[in-house]
Amino acid sequence: MTDYGHDLLFGLFVTPSARDAQHVLDVAATADRTGLDLVTFQDHPYQPAFLDTWTLLSYAAARTERVRLAGNVLSLPLRPPAVLARAAASLDVLSGGRFELGIGAGAFWDGIAAMGGRRLTASQGVDALREAVTIIRDLWDTDTRGGVRHEGRYYTMAGAKRGPKPAHDIQIWVGSYKPRMLALTGAVGDGWLPTVEYLPDGVASLPELNARIDEAAVAAGRQPAEVRRLLNVMNVRFSPTSRGLLSGPPQQWVEQLADLALSHGVTAVLVGGDDHTIAERYAAEVTPAVRELVARERGVTGPAR
Amino acid sequence: MAIEWGIVLDLAGADRDPDTLVNLARQAESAGLDLVVLRGAPEHLHGLDPWTTAVWLAGRTKHIPIGVAPAATSSDPADPGQAYPSVVAKAHQSLDVLAGTRLVTAESAWVEAAPDAGAGQIRRLAEAGVPVVVPVRSGDDIDRLAALMAGEDRGSGRSAAVRARRREGIDYDGVPASLADVAIEPGDPAYRGVTSTYLRGGAPGLVLRPRTPAEVADALAFARRHTHLPLGLRSGGHGISGRSTNDGGLVIDVGALNGIEVLDERRRLVRIGPGATWKQVAAALDPYGWALGSGDYGGVGVGGLATAGGIGLLSRKHGLTIDRLRAVELVLADGTQVRASKEDNPDLFWAVRGAGANFGVATAFEFEVSEVGKVGWAQLVLVSGDLEKSLRRYGELASAAPRDTTVFLVTGRPRQGQSVIQLYAIVDHEDPDVIVERLTPFTELGALAQQQVALTSYKDVMALAADVGPDGHHGMGEPVSRSAFLPALTQDFARDAARLLRSGLVYFFELRGMGGAIADTPADETAFAHRTPAFQVTAMGSDQAGLNAAWDRLAGHFDGLYLSFDTDLRPQRLHDAFPPEVLSRLRELKRRYDPGNLFRDNFNIDPRMIEEHTR
Repeated sequence: MTDYGHDLLFGLFVTPSARDAQHVLDVAATADRTGLDLVTFQDHPYQPAFLDTWTLLSYAAARTERVRLAGNVLSLPLRPPAVLARAAASLDVLSGGRFELGIGAGAFWDGIAAMGGRRLTASQGVDALREAVTIIRDLWDTDTRGGVRHEGRYYTMAGAKRGPKPAHDIQIWVGSYKPRMLALTGAVGDGWLPTVEYLPDGVASLPELNARIDEAAVAAGRQPAEVRRLLNVMNVRFSPTSRGLLSGPPQQWVEQLADLALSHGVTAVLVGGDDHTIAERYAAEVTPAVRELVARERGVTGPAR
Repeated sequence: MAIEWGIVLDLAGADRDPDTLVNLARQAESAGLDLVVLRGAPEHLHGLDPWTTAVWLAGRTKHIPIGVAPAATSSDPADPGQAYPSVVAKAHQSLDVLAGTRLVTAESAWVEAAPDAGAGQIRRLAEAGVPVVVPVRSGDDIDRLAALMAGEDRGSGRSAAVRARRREGIDYDGVPASLADVAIEPGDPAYRGVTSTYLRGGAPGLVLRPRTPAEVADALAFARRHTHLPLGLRSGGHGISGRSTNDGGLVIDVGALNGIEVLDERRRLVRIGPGATWKQVAAALDPYGWALGSGDYGGVGVGGLATAGGIGLLSRKHGLTIDRLRAVELVLADGTQVRASKEDNPDLFWAVRGAGANFGVATAFEFEVSEVGKVGWAQLVLVSGDLEKSLRRYGELASAAPRDTTVFLVTGRPRQGQSVIQLYAIVDHEDPDVIVERLTPFTELGALAQQQVALTSYKDVMALAADVGPDGHHGMGEPVSRSAFLPALTQDFARDAARLLRSGLVYFFELRGMGGAIADTPADETAFAHRTPAFQVTAMGSDQAGLNAAWDRLAGHFDGLYLSFDTDLRPQRLHDAFPPEVLSRLRELKRRYDPGNLFRDNFNIDPRMIEEHTR
């Protein structure tokens, strides 16, 4: 039973469909209007039916006012880290601090190679991501003097200028499932962002995987609570009867989400469906009650910190 | 001289906070300026990423084009500072989808003046024919430009962003005035809906959409000035051999010429535009108890099919579509409008019925349609472990069936030794017992997996085709297809066809039953001369060279081909489409009607060639 005590975030996990681009933007606007915290988009540049996720993130950010945005997760092999760092900082500045960086080591290597990207093994991908996180944070660190040098196995930089400086402390959330990626997440990530449908035993996998991240965080001299635990739930529905995780009446959603927060430390849940009604009901009928229940259970009054 | 005006925003300026950028861009937009250019300073402490900022500004403004220099790209994965070219290209396409054509990425698409430039300097720079952009730092700077602008001629028409997408070799500014308001070029909002056809992707440089025969003549005059480019003629956009889309060329889309009008009810004489679909034709004729046989799919356009043949589900009873044609009106290559019938220009009337795409743009067809009541419509799915035997038996049954019964067979790659055979059939008879009697023998071709038999109308059969929405067809790439006529479906052909299907080279294989009324018309009456085959056969694959090699080996079974369904571009195919006497007569007529070979896309009969096969 672990609760790392983070404030609660609720958001959407949206398919960046090119054919339904207006719908994608409208769903983001609904999230903004209804007070959800996050709108996130998958990133598969090799998928012709999808929009470029960076362009979509920037455009959706411009068309919203309050909601925070993130890639879920951006594909490092096709997003060179210095380009990504400068673009991310720029979007953070433009949007008034509304951008967070979800990132992964890459999947679908045939697609990545078809776009001209580098094919790596899973293990190489972990090491490349570790280098990338270092480069990204160094470029954002405009308080340190001198350029950014990096002599790595996967990336080389010879004294690149720093900046621009992000508007807020952009969180780096890592999509990870396997032991070495989980260890990287615990060692350097600000958050862990898996999809429940891809966990071997769904929610039941969380204690073991959380423990791996905790262990790696401690080994790196950090507190486990420095790594926020987020979760995508792709298949959700509101229905009169219960059919599983986030598939049932709103009250069941509330109890399941509170349990995720209090028992598994999952304090950000991003739901799929690409659907206005789901977004509206999630915001109106579920999230206030979850915040209240979690606050009560945590033994504090008022909203969670 | 007309001038287009723009501003330059410097992304590296320390004073450039996001609100200032947005406010200046919005002010330029509301002042009626034509372009906002972002000048980046990569690797600068305060410098915002130009691409991200361009997208942001597009999202915070409504319509003003945004110019941004192309990002430095690299394919070196070890360089963390440059984007992949493929990803940058996709980003550009995505902004078009999200914001419309707003993006200008070629630096040559604008010319920069000094920050304090006066009207004289701006006028001189404008002679380059692109927007003149002036660096600005404040709203006052934009007010100053707006005041200068008030005294000058303004550019009109398409924005700089749209013009930046134009293709080489097309005189866009010379589009005839009659067509200009409905012409579509690559940067236009409607462009995405006109690029693809049913089975083919494309990126035409200009789509002209005439609404009258006079406008067709204007379009052809424009085409005559662009013979260095591909020219596609599009009616419904269904063509397989006909390239009604292309890359960087012209398309004349006659979709707007889609009228359907009954001329003489007693004679069942109907006038139909080339842009109507067969689904629309069937729906219009149904209330009279009439039908006009077409192919097997209601989404096909009238113009392409009615100039090629029309082997369809009513053909055994009522003949080919062209056999019902009584007159056609065309615009010839030189712009002349002519009528062709048995009385007027009979040579041309002969040629159009089978080789029409070589002779002109049809603007109206007059058909004598048939009385057709309720019909039996069947879709059967059978599974066969012995494809050769099933094909042979189908051949016997379909050939021996009465004229009221037309049955088409479709199959694909066998899986685990089993072939899924789909049969589509119309029995032109109102008696359900007769319909069942006609179809029952066909259910023995394999194990019956599904059957749907209905007493319905030809209109409802054609109505099964989905309508094409405003975003057009969605074909991608190039179809790969071969066609042939089979004098008879022999045991040897069944064996070889089964072997071809087992090879996996062909994913779609169709036999269309012919015979019956098709052979009632003498072979020399139309340029479509293949009156006696028992079947038309089509095979589609994914690789033209591979399919050609396999198909060529079957040539001994074949006698000619149906030009609508063959994508092989080797010259010999023309001789398969037209027997020697037909081809030499067509060539003579081509010399008369299209000596410049303007119409050269589909089974081109080159007027300059000397006939090899002379009598």
